[in-house]
Amino acid sequence: MGNVLEVKALSKQYTKVLAADKVSFEIGEGEIFALIGPNGAGKTTTIRMISTLLSPTDGDAVVAGHSVVKEPEKVRECITYLPDEAGAYKNMTGIKYLRFMAGLFFTDIDKINKSVERAKEICGLGERLNDKIGSYSRGMIRKLLLSRAVMTRPKLAILDEPTSGLDVLNAIEIRKMIKKLAAEEKMSFLLSSHNMLEIEFVSDRVGIIAKGHLMVTGRTDELKERYQAENLEEVFERVVLENEIH
Amino acid sequence: MKFINLLKKELAELINVQMILSLVVTMGIFMVLGGVMKSSIDEAVDSTKNVKVNICDRDQTDFTKAILKAIEDINNDPDEHTEVTIKTFETSGDDYAKILEDNDISNIVIIPEGFTASVEKGERPELISVNRMKSAATMSNISSGNDNAVSLIKDCVASTIAQKNGLSKNDYDLIEVPVKVNNNTVVEDKSAEVSSDSIIGKVTLQNMVLPIIVFVLIMLTSQMLMSAISNEKIDKTLETLLSTPVSRLAVIGSKMLAAAIVALINAAVFMIGFSVFVSGATDEVTETAKDIASGSVSVDEALKQLGIALNFSDYILVGLQLFFTILICLSVSLILGALVDDPKSVQNMLMPIMMLAIIPYMISMLADINELPTPVKIVVYAIPFTHTFTAIPNLMFGNTGLFFFGLAYQIVFFAVCIFAALKIFMTDKIFTISLNFGQKNKYKKKGKKSAANEE
Repeated sequence: MGNVLEVKALSKQYTKVLAADKVSFEIGEGEIFALIGPNGAGKTTTIRMISTLLSPTDGDAVVAGHSVVKEPEKVRECITYLPDEAGAYKNMTGIKYLRFMAGLFFTDIDKINKSVERAKEICGLGERLNDKIGSYSRGMIRKLLLSRAVMTRPKLAILDEPTSGLDVLNAIEIRKMIKKLAAEEKMSFLLSSHNMLEIEFVSDRVGIIAKGHLMVTGRTDELKERYQAENLEEVFERVVLENEIH
Repeated sequence: MKFINLLKKELAELINVQMILSLVVTMGIFMVLGGVMKSSIDEAVDSTKNVKVNICDRDQTDFTKAILKAIEDINNDPDEHTEVTIKTFETSGDDYAKILEDNDISNIVIIPEGFTASVEKGERPELISVNRMKSAATMSNISSGNDNAVSLIKDCVASTIAQKNGLSKNDYDLIEVPVKVNNNTVVEDKSAEVSSDSIIGKVTLQNMVLPIIVFVLIMLTSQMLMSAISNEKIDKTLETLLSTPVSRLAVIGSKMLAAAIVALINAAVFMIGFSVFVSGATDEVTETAKDIASGSVSVDEALKQLGIALNFSDYILVGLQLFFTILICLSVSLILGALVDDPKSVQNMLMPIMMLAIIPYMISMLADINELPTPVKIVVYAIPFTHTFTAIPNLMFGNTGLFFFGLAYQIVFFAVCIFAALKIFMTDKIFTISLNFGQKNKYKKKGKKSAANEE
């Protein structure tokens, strides 16, 4: 199984803050990798660099064989990115939004139509897709955006807090969907979340980041065993607060 | 294809029901105002051409009857363009409000008893003029009936006195108009037989339209683009857009083009609406002025003779300057929009552009910028929009050097602004810079935790 993403000593220096310091990890094909850490730890900066929104001050990330530094346009063809608390164009209907976004990935009408059909099926919003997004609840918008993020079958879907704003049942549904897409379609996911339960359930591997450093990576059961912890929350606490690295 | 997709989305965002509704309302307001203006002026013009005189002769002498006859005879004079209709009334007392109400009229001229006796005694006779004031509006109170009647009666009395004193009609006419003024206006080395007042009147009306269009364009373009950019930033749709396989240049380009298209639609509506309004207000007056100003050249002809009429190439140059004005607006708005990540701040950010537009707009309406003291002139000319407001006067009065300097300055200004805007959009700055009014304290409290902010 080849790697879809290889992050190599990725660093980002803002004027006064080193937001990411030589962050390295990789994600295999069909793998779900979760990046967890407290606020300001460097999660979003790392994700934004992989999404080609920010340029690294050092290091590189290679997505499906394309460098984010040298070939950002090629990288963008292979990924989709869903920011945390993202909105959508309120005056557009759901269906127009999906068609517009698909049109940014494909020029072939057939591919656009197929993507939209797929998103319609995944989001489950039915007739409400013909309504303006301005009339949607937060949960409905999140479902629309999630379906948008996977409709083009990207090699790597980057989802920042994928289930934020969703109720318990909808969140379970989304987690199942992510697992299904990874297992059946070999789609890889890079997630970021504060919900440890969600991470334990959905991810294959986890990376804990604090103060710009990727402290540890591993499978959730491995990490629990390594730290002799009952759950991932305990591992997280010991890594972040006590800098305990095994 | 992808650019068209982006452009369609941007246009759909900007051209919504509210925008169309506001355009229709604007157009409607201009048309209604133009219509009201036209009907009021028509009425006023009509009242000068067709004078309706309400008159009450309380003196009932041969002399007063002769006056009324003389007024009626004006209709038979081929040199007179005025049509006079006399209505006589029987009235008594000095309750003028009741007199107007009882006779259902709004004005009347009363020749009181003893009028003829005063003329015969060589005293100044008294005439009573009564006008009903309907409202504070100027137009609604224009009624030339009484003024004309009084003027006609004055003429009759004056000519009677003249005849009594042995003056011929020619002598009397000479006294009445003792000097014939031949008006001439000179611009540089050219002159035309026309009064400078009529030239200024025409030019002012012409030059009123462009500054208003420019002002509307500047404000609308800036507001639309700044909102478009800041909304995308606030909703994080910009992050989504920029992570798709489209170039950042296409994203910015589509936004700029859409804002420019919508601004031009707005400007066109304003221009058409304003023209309807202005033509409603001026056409009738111009026609009347033409009738009256026989002998001297027409204002349009005079503009050509003086070399201040704009030709086709002048209009092309004005259009070019307008184009660069829009480009400057777009590039400055890109920068300011990128600095905002709070919806309320958009209005604050609009202030600098508004001031840059208002200052030259007001100055150009009230004074000649070239006549200002040098330091003030430099400051005003440093504002790029000044050159748009002064474009037409500069071309009209042959200040082509100043016009081309303004155009060159605008091109340089635009180049600098667009370079700065692209620097922001093509780099990380679009996600890292912000100027949040009223949120500084919040950020200060965060102190060294600014990393979280940057996150």
